[in-house]
Amino acid sequence: MVVYSFYIFDRHAECIYKRRWLPRPTSIVGKSRSNTVSDAAPTGLGQTVRSTDDDSKLVFGTVFSLRNMVRKLGGEDDNFVSFTTSQYKLHYYETPTNTKFVMLTDLKSPSMRIALQQIYINLFVEYVVKNPLSPTEHPGGVGVNNELFEESLEQFVVRAF
Amino acid sequence: MEVSKPQCPFTGTEKRRPIDFAAASLLNLRLIGFIHMRRTRVDKVNAELVTLTYGTIVAQLCQDYDSNYQDVNKQLDKMGYNIGMRLVEDFLAKSGVGRCANFRETADMIAKVGFKIFLNVTPMVTNWTSDNTQFSLIFEDNPLADFVELPDDGRAQDELWFSNILCGVLRGSLEMVQMQIEAHFVSDVLRGDDTTEMRVSLVRYIEDEMPPEEE
Repeated sequence: MVVYSFYIFDRHAECIYKRRWLPRPTSIVGKSRSNTVSDAAPTGLGQTVRSTDDDSKLVFGTVFSLRNMVRKLGGEDDNFVSFTTSQYKLHYYETPTNTKFVMLTDLKSPSMRIALQQIYINLFVEYVVKNPLSPTEHPGGVGVNNELFEESLEQFVVRAF
Repeated sequence: MEVSKPQCPFTGTEKRRPIDFAAASLLNLRLIGFIHMRRTRVDKVNAELVTLTYGTIVAQLCQDYDSNYQDVNKQLDKMGYNIGMRLVEDFLAKSGVGRCANFRETADMIAKVGFKIFLNVTPMVTNWTSDNTQFSLIFEDNPLADFVELPDDGRAQDELWFSNILCGVLRGSLEMVQMQIEAHFVSDVLRGDDTTEMRVSLVRYIEDEMPPEEE
């Protein structure tokens, strides 16, 4: 399986961490349809209009609405686990502190809920929250992008998949 | 004129705990007994180290604020708030508990799980108001206050809430789980009261924040 990207949103609805491992799924599809050159190149051009910043806002908007909708239908404790489009699978995990973890993978991937939970427990809490010198809030991602966290995340993703 | 300095709170009394008493330090947030992918060892911290560390902090604050105990209380609360905001993540990560259904459940969770894990005490939850928004925590045992004797300057007994950091911890940690609360001590055995009691009131549940509007 392939991990495309990973986002963390804090309780203030701000994206405090984002990471992309591969070009956006759209360009992957381009590859598989073998018009690699024409489609892969625009990643930097045609899609510059929509930067990773915009991506994270879109992702947040989607999971936020979806989560609220799910709760309205299924009760306060209900939560969605993932959704699938024809191009990618979006996995979602939310902590009681309203921190949201989102991962985009390819369609073949199994449920990543446990993986996201492990990232929260073993990486985020250990390396970001417990770092006494990092701020308690992370406006603009301050304090999240520390070496220990990033490296461990990289390892986690590479090793797990 | 020399400002009267608060005494060091450690008077070297005979009160001792068993050495391996498993107290978790407020600063070194470790938990007991939960198995993880990465870490399975049980961390223990000597209880006296916690007590002495906390006592030193309070004593230093009393010095820094020239024994203005209102300010010391405030500062302790603020420190607790910052600790609470982090501590709650550790608590959630390790205990795996979900949201509480109501404030009564929250109170039990704080007393029976939270305090148990971090300080190895279980305060009693009592004195509920009829609308279920206020309760008291009665501490029979308070590890922070072992060995402590308040300064004998005629004011500390009335003004200093020695364990005030705990109020801040509750405020910070509950804010992170969408509850705005107010907490303060109403009595303390250190002041000669019969019990150590903290009053906790729910102010409101915090609504989800929306992303800022796009222009």
